[in-house]
Amino acid sequence: MSHHVSSIREPLVQGHKSYHDITEDLVSPTERAPGMAWKVGFAISVSLLSFGVFCILWTIWHGIGTWNLNRTIGWGWDITNFVWWIGIGHAGTLISAILLLFRQKWRTGVNRAAEAMTIFAVICAALFPGIHVGRAWVVFYFFPYPNTRGPLWPNFNSPLLWDLFAISTYFIVSFLFWYTGLVPDFATVRDRAKGLRRKIYNVLSFGWTGSAKHWQRWESLCLILAGIATPLVLSVHTIVSFDFATSVIPGWHTTIFPPYFVAGAIFSGFAMVLTLMIVTRKVLHLEQYITIGHIESMNKVILVTGTIVGVAYLTELFVAWYSGYVYEQFAFFNRAVGPYWWAYFGMMFCNVVSPQIFWFRKMRRSVAVTFFISIVINIGMWFERFVIIGTTLARDYLPSSWSYYSPSWVEIGIFLGTLGIFFTLYLLFTRVAPVVAIAEIKSILKSAGDQYTGPDAVHSSTEHVEEQAHD
Amino acid sequence: MDKNSIWIGEKDLVRDEAFLETVEQEFAGGDILENSEGLDYTQSNRRDFLKFLGFGLGAATVAAGCDIPIKRAIPYVIKPDEIVPGVATYYASSYVVGGDYCPILVKCREGRPIKVEGNDLSSITKGGTSARVQASVLSLYDTNRYRSPLKKSENGFEAISWNKLDTEVKEALSTAKNVRLVSNTILSPTAKNAIEEFISAYPSSQWISYDPVSSAAILDANEMSYGQAVIPSYHFDKADVIVSFNADFLGTWISPVEYAKAYSKNRIVNADNPKMSRHIQVESHMSMTGSNADNRVLIKPSELGQAIAYLHGILSDGSSSAALNDKAKSALDRVAQELKSASGNSLVISASNNPYEQVLVNHMNEILGNYGSTISMSDASMQRQGNEKNLEALINEMNGGRIDAVVMLDTNPAYDSSSASKFAEALSKVGTKVAVHYQPNETSVLCDYVAPCNHFLESWGDVEAKKGHYSLVQPTIGPLFDTRQTEQSILVWASSANLNADSDQPYMDYLKSNWKSNLFVDQSEYLSFNKFWDSALHDGVLSHGSHNETAIPFSGDVAMAKSKVSYPSSSELEVVFFETANMGNGQFSSNPWLQEMPDPVARTTWGNYLAVPVAFDGNKRFVGLNDLEDGDMVELTIGSESFNVPVIKQFGMAPGTVALALGYGRTEAGKCGTGVGVNVNNCITKLEGLSQYYSTEVSVSRKKGKEDHFSCVQYHHTFGVKAEKNGEMINADEAALGNAYGVTGYQGSLVERSIMFTSTLSGLGESLKDKKERRDEYEHLNQATLYPFEEYSEEKYSQGHYWGMHVDLNACIGCNACTVACMAENNVPVVGKREVSRHHEMTWLRIDRYYFGSAENPNVVYQPMMCQHCDNAPCENVCPVNATNHSSEGLNQMAYNRCVGTRYCANNCPYKVRRFNWLDYTTADIFPANQPTLSGEEIPFGADNLTRMVLNPDVTVRSRGVIEKCSFCVQRIQEGKLSSKSEGRRLVDADVRTACQTACPTGAITFGDRNNKQGELYKKFENPLNFISLEEVNVRSSVNYTMKVVNRDESLEA
Repeated sequence: MSHHVSSIREPLVQGHKSYHDITEDLVSPTERAPGMAWKVGFAISVSLLSFGVFCILWTIWHGIGTWNLNRTIGWGWDITNFVWWIGIGHAGTLISAILLLFRQKWRTGVNRAAEAMTIFAVICAALFPGIHVGRAWVVFYFFPYPNTRGPLWPNFNSPLLWDLFAISTYFIVSFLFWYTGLVPDFATVRDRAKGLRRKIYNVLSFGWTGSAKHWQRWESLCLILAGIATPLVLSVHTIVSFDFATSVIPGWHTTIFPPYFVAGAIFSGFAMVLTLMIVTRKVLHLEQYITIGHIESMNKVILVTGTIVGVAYLTELFVAWYSGYVYEQFAFFNRAVGPYWWAYFGMMFCNVVSPQIFWFRKMRRSVAVTFFISIVINIGMWFERFVIIGTTLARDYLPSSWSYYSPSWVEIGIFLGTLGIFFTLYLLFTRVAPVVAIAEIKSILKSAGDQYTGPDAVHSSTEHVEEQAHD
Repeated sequence: MDKNSIWIGEKDLVRDEAFLETVEQEFAGGDILENSEGLDYTQSNRRDFLKFLGFGLGAATVAAGCDIPIKRAIPYVIKPDEIVPGVATYYASSYVVGGDYCPILVKCREGRPIKVEGNDLSSITKGGTSARVQASVLSLYDTNRYRSPLKKSENGFEAISWNKLDTEVKEALSTAKNVRLVSNTILSPTAKNAIEEFISAYPSSQWISYDPVSSAAILDANEMSYGQAVIPSYHFDKADVIVSFNADFLGTWISPVEYAKAYSKNRIVNADNPKMSRHIQVESHMSMTGSNADNRVLIKPSELGQAIAYLHGILSDGSSSAALNDKAKSALDRVAQELKSASGNSLVISASNNPYEQVLVNHMNEILGNYGSTISMSDASMQRQGNEKNLEALINEMNGGRIDAVVMLDTNPAYDSSSASKFAEALSKVGTKVAVHYQPNETSVLCDYVAPCNHFLESWGDVEAKKGHYSLVQPTIGPLFDTRQTEQSILVWASSANLNADSDQPYMDYLKSNWKSNLFVDQSEYLSFNKFWDSALHDGVLSHGSHNETAIPFSGDVAMAKSKVSYPSSSELEVVFFETANMGNGQFSSNPWLQEMPDPVARTTWGNYLAVPVAFDGNKRFVGLNDLEDGDMVELTIGSESFNVPVIKQFGMAPGTVALALGYGRTEAGKCGTGVGVNVNNCITKLEGLSQYYSTEVSVSRKKGKEDHFSCVQYHHTFGVKAEKNGEMINADEAALGNAYGVTGYQGSLVERSIMFTSTLSGLGESLKDKKERRDEYEHLNQATLYPFEEYSEEKYSQGHYWGMHVDLNACIGCNACTVACMAENNVPVVGKREVSRHHEMTWLRIDRYYFGSAENPNVVYQPMMCQHCDNAPCENVCPVNATNHSSEGLNQMAYNRCVGTRYCANNCPYKVRRFNWLDYTTADIFPANQPTLSGEEIPFGADNLTRMVLNPDVTVRSRGVIEKCSFCVQRIQEGKLSSKSEGRRLVDADVRTACQTACPTGAITFGDRNNKQGELYKKFENPLNFISLEEVNVRSSVNYTMKVVNRDESLEA
């Protein structure tokens, strides 16, 4: 590797891995029968998914009236979940695209799984705009296609339409990026496989031969996709925030929303990556690839974004007070001390207070603490979206129309269902693809493997390594 | 080969063997069946093909044979002249239910009455209507109606023929020794004729009438005071000071539509010459009328007599003493001064059912010189004629076994009289009981025969609601079922010689001949009776005779009356029973529009809620009686009866008083009225045989759980009420919003909203200045845009029409007639209690009610709220599919077909007027699973073809999953445009009148074209009192409201 690596920089691959060890460690989970933990997890996930599907069918069959929304509160858990999942979906692109451009090598340990998580989260999110409408069977009206009604186009002024484009673009680019990364790894799996499995992976890897030309093109493509994906990290949640920011409802109509939403999205995305990674590394014994160093790096991101989000919350309060606009003032007054005060304080505690624990290195490097805080942040970010959507709508301009809302079993069921979809897809993913990008990990082994760098570097552990180190 | 022959290609030319062989065959490629190696893999041949075809055809046939609903549309073979499909016809008629009366125009489409409008020609109601009138058309299509004559047998009722019924009834009547006819007030002179004929046919018979809510004391008192048992005519328009003792004259008392119209005249404020009447309501609970009052004097229900006596004492003797709370006394001292200063132009009325108290009221009016100005006797009202003492006597007679037959004329004493259970018991001792009823009720089910009567929209009839003021009832549709109108049944049983049974419409002939021999003779305008009749039928109303007011000397015994006023009880808690604008005393229970109409004051639906007083705790809470909260269930004990009722915290209640509405808890009121609420008729006490609508033996438990479906459409009731905290007046409203934190107020963020502007009459100048300042600031804020609205609107709306609406909040009395009219006009579905409790009500037009002023005794403002048709509409730009958009005439339109149902528009509506079809409320789905039922009935409300006959064919019935909202009655706009166009003239404001506008009894709503400078609306838009709700949001609402002005006398509150 060309550039200098500081010797105090923590190695990103531990355990004196050889190239073969890496292949062995990362491909073997797709080759052996799943363990008990996987089976139990899968059974639970599929049960949740089935219940979610049932609830969705129930909604479509009976109508949105099976939810507890009302004339005042038109969006509740549906859009809260939508924004929450979209937010979670932000970490993948950030890690794969922005960190790639910034040459953050630690991304290689987590990027594959984070991207997969992004895609699955976006799938969960995209479900909601489809099913929350009154007439799910005519959602195709959203799409600008030539038709015989005039033609009648959708309303390009509507933020919901922007959402449609933003999310579909994001999904497509994220998916391509993820899949492109998978191609050489699928080839690796293929090379070790036999029979039908080999055929399938051959197709999945597009007949990858590993020739220099392939690698060259592959790297160019990754870079181009990273370039395309980078603005998307900022744009998707910006546009989601426009759903609210462009409205006239006090508490929604706020110019701070785009950066605030993006920071929140990254914040929640990293929290979810941590939740998943901590479990994955434990179950699949990947501690040497997803190291404490990785966890610490992500915790730093969480600390920064969490603090940004906190500043945003306080800014909102300040602006409400400073604006002299009674409705805005009341909206924030109501968030804090209205009937949903618990959601507001839940949000404040989970998102602003709890991550501050990561100022302490010891906490940043504690797996248990990180896992706990990541769950707390996931909950907190859900509260944030609920506060923005539910609390704001419950009491807006006309006191006569103020109302209250709590979800019905169907709404809760659909949320559990999306968790089911998410984890089912993730668990399947761990069975069919290497959860850590083999090719990328191998590419940083010399610059960040512990047998080459760091305090524990042993330069003569094996002849093979020696050889590699000197060429 | 012959060189002249035709050859195909080279192979033919060289006579290739193989080629020649193929040419021989008919089908290229050989025999497809015998030589079909290529097709072998399909394993099927021609036979299989036929099998598949046969099976496919058979399966398709079977599938197609499944039940496909057939909807028949039968065209006219011979089209009636008066019907043009698509064009509505209007017939003048009259709404009559007991003593409730309203002259109406009935809108018919293709022979179906679908809407009721007020009759502008009436000198009584002047075109006004009420919610009950608006809803009456739905009762025509009530699935609960009697459909044929019935006779009671062992297994319930069985259908019989009219002949059989008439024979058996006549036989029973002719052998009966004592016959009684029981009815509510009958306003029809011809019906009274028929009853007379009946009585002469069966001389042992007597006619007894009573009213579900009694005004008998007024009749008795006027008998004592003036020798006439009538209800005088009250002229609220001439009164500068109105003092009402508990009389809900705008909502339910005697003739509310008439009174509301007159009352509003003196309430509409002209900013140049601000003047309005002062209305003081002395009452115990917040009635609809009380909510419109400038000042309210709070007394316990049992103090009513003393309050009347006290005021009477001051007016007659200059000083007075009474057993009354001090606050009320000092207020009444001031009231007396007010009255005196407005002598001759004041009015004192009372709903007290104690005749002696009414005599004092009469005497007060006499002292004040109000007779001849604000009260007249020459055109006295006939709208209450009943007396419950007669009913009491009947019960005794029935119990004594002296009655052999009773005929119930569409009346329900087994439910709505204060002796309901006694009546039901006594009725069982009568030999023959005949019910002439429209639909089953608690009384008709006890009878032996049911002779079903017509709906008033299927009947002929006449009305004399006030002396000399007649109107006609004409049928607008043939009887839907095998029913016969009441009067005809009476005449048939009386074997009347005047009834030509062979005629097509026997009762019409009878009615005509009665008019010919009476009214026609007394007039001189028309020479032929037919012209006279046609003119009366066309107009629907007829004023007759002269009304020269001659002063009748007061002959009441004041001293005796004074000694007989009721004395307050020492009970700590009292309960007052009141009639609501929608339910009456249960006469309207089976009408779902009225059940779903929110109570104007409490804003509750589908049930009676116990109104409990609330007080500010001096810190941060509005505390209800016994610490009760809205929707708590309590055990209410009145005398020996106890009820489980839900609670609503009600502002403006007298301390130590709770209130509960009459008219609920019906047990036989069809699928929509049965079992809704609780029935308190049995708790009504009696004083000298007259019903007293309160009780002093009452206790309310602490909370006993929550109501399952708390169906109140408004959760937040106040708009900046003030209360005392540590000796300082604070904004209690905001303090109470701070929940557990005790935050007292937050920069006025609740009270400084531009939703509503209020003022006192004396401070009007100041308020107008303040309002102007605020509006200027909003305008200034709204200028800060890249797209100046003025330029844009000039370009867009200066041509053609530019629709707008004006709502005068000083005229609005909150009666909800508009809400029901809107439901009727626009096919707004009824959703039922459970759905209302989930805030899924569908009303396009609602009336927001806010309390303001003092928390202890607040004023009330009603704000009709409908789509504001904003010209910069926030709903429009957020719709992803363009389902809601703006017309070039300034209308905000909904394309239901295009709506996907994201509800984004509803979220972004600052006025929260958009309504979403959460479930299949219109029962339009093919899957019945989705159709919510109102009360567990088999066929959901609105799913049957009978109920659907009420639908307005001009308005789309919306399906599940789409948003709907007020359209400014776009179908009426279109109709007005077409009619003015076909008449080749400019459209004027009167061509288009929205349903809410025509329904309004006070003319609070004006709709029109803002570009029409001669129009009514244009003038109203110039009113300096106007404001635009939420102006600073810059949505450019098309609706202007006027500032609410109250003529409050602060010295009354001291």
